[in-house]
Amino acid sequence: MSIKILRPGLVTTLVDEGRTGFRSIGIGPGGAMDLFAMSVANYLVGNDKRSATLEIHFPGPEILFQQTHILAVTGMGFEPRIDDQVVPLWTPFKIEKDSILRFGKKTRGSRAYLAVHGGWNAQEWLGSFSTHSGVQAGGYRGRALQKNDILEAGINKVEVEKEKDLPGGIPPHELNRIYSAPHEIRCIASAETDLLSPSSENEMFTSSFIIHRQSNRMGYRLEGVSLFLRQSVELISSPVDFGTIQLLPDGNLIVLMADHQTTGGYPRIASVSQVDLPKLAQLNPGEKINFKMISFFEAESELLSREKHLAELRHTYLIHFKKLLYRDSTFD
Amino acid sequence: MNRIINELAKSCTIKPLNEGALLISLGNSIDVGINLFIIELHRRIIAVPFPGLIESVPAYSSLAVYFDTGVVKGIQPNYETAFDVVREHLENILRKIVLADDDTKNQVIEIPVLYDGEDLGFVADRHFLTHEEVIAIHVSVTYRVFMIGFLPGFAYMGSVNKRISTPRRSSPRTFVPGGSVGIAGTQTGIYPQSSPGGWQLIGRTPLRIFDKEKSSPCLLNPGDRVRYYPIDLIEFEKRNEY
Repeated sequence: MSIKILRPGLVTTLVDEGRTGFRSIGIGPGGAMDLFAMSVANYLVGNDKRSATLEIHFPGPEILFQQTHILAVTGMGFEPRIDDQVVPLWTPFKIEKDSILRFGKKTRGSRAYLAVHGGWNAQEWLGSFSTHSGVQAGGYRGRALQKNDILEAGINKVEVEKEKDLPGGIPPHELNRIYSAPHEIRCIASAETDLLSPSSENEMFTSSFIIHRQSNRMGYRLEGVSLFLRQSVELISSPVDFGTIQLLPDGNLIVLMADHQTTGGYPRIASVSQVDLPKLAQLNPGEKINFKMISFFEAESELLSREKHLAELRHTYLIHFKKLLYRDSTFD
Repeated sequence: MNRIINELAKSCTIKPLNEGALLISLGNSIDVGINLFIIELHRRIIAVPFPGLIESVPAYSSLAVYFDTGVVKGIQPNYETAFDVVREHLENILRKIVLADDDTKNQVIEIPVLYDGEDLGFVADRHFLTHEEVIAIHVSVTYRVFMIGFLPGFAYMGSVNKRISTPRRSSPRTFVPGGSVGIAGTQTGIYPQSSPGGWQLIGRTPLRIFDKEKSSPCLLNPGDRVRYYPIDLIEFEKRNEY
């Protein structure tokens, strides 16, 4: 046995990078809402990026650890505590056998990711550990965790009980590169951007929008000024993606998020730049956003440097854990 | 025929959907010829995947190609963007397309339906028909699957006879049970799982349309031909896989 869920929290699910290759049969990628935080949580505990993590919302779960483990919690605004001691976000730490991990909330932010050294033992469906609640597959029985569920962790590679040399965390200035200016969401043109009326195009980038209560992992509905097309158009279904901004017939916007449908029939008037999706994923209903249009070239350059940044983080922590592993094996 | 294909290839627009996806579009109509072209394009893209290809998604008259921006750019660093690399690759494929056989000879998949949908009366009243006439018209056509989208395994089929075609409900239902057979304009389809939905529900099939345990989980795929036939409640319950 590994961990026992004492309280499930609002929605706690196993997620990974998502399921690719099945959009053509209507199965979207799903996966973590904040892919940056999810990947880094894995790197911090020496996992590869394919491992599953737990995606946690507020109020978070209460988890009893039945064994000693190396963990990391990433994301924004949460305050994890072991028994009553606060542990820092974005930093690997050890949790002793029979301790309870809880999640307080301190500042703004919406999602946290809990990774365990060795990875969680999740069920794989179509090449991914991500929970698909629609068809009840993947993750933990295809559903959110419930009270008394038991989840196993994979095999520890380092000697967790004795381990004293865990690497340090991600410094705040590095996180600022991703999450600063939380309400400014950069976007680029998409398939039907030129259908937007000139005055609406202007309004979209000068006024603020509020994230509506009816927002979830499928999409964020936005409240704000009504936008219009040059002329109304009935579109037939066509592919969409995480970050696609659709204009609904009533003039409101919806931003498609991780659990979006594979195709849709509303005009795709813009797309959130991929580097700002983690920021958007950390916003809650009631918070405001301002869209800022950037060039395609700029968005791509930002994406490539983000990928480079992630690769560097991965490399740094991989080296550290390899050293731990090598040191342990010399004492065998 | 080849001249028509040439015209189609030339009239494609290619635009970015985002940094990691582009969209090839052939207008905004439900047309068998255009859809055959899109399906053939999809086959060619996945037959010889370019480095960095994630997936290709064919729809009615458009197709999206999802790619790993870093991989594409890494291989072709001299191009300004990964989009430019993928666009050039696709333009080369487009130039070479000669159309595959049309799919009217494909085997017909027969789907039993208990016609007791909550909107059957609405559809009948709208067209001044009896329930039996709506059913007779719905089963009289061999439909073609144009695309899969919306939900896992949801097949968009056409075309519904104009005498029963009915627009979506003005207010979608928050719960449509899996197996429900619906109409939206000239399209007909089956909800593979329970979900919210706005289609006019005319019946339900006992057949499982999407089976997550199977290696090819969808009963229906683009290009398939489909006919419905009516069954009664006793047979429905005997065969119910939901």
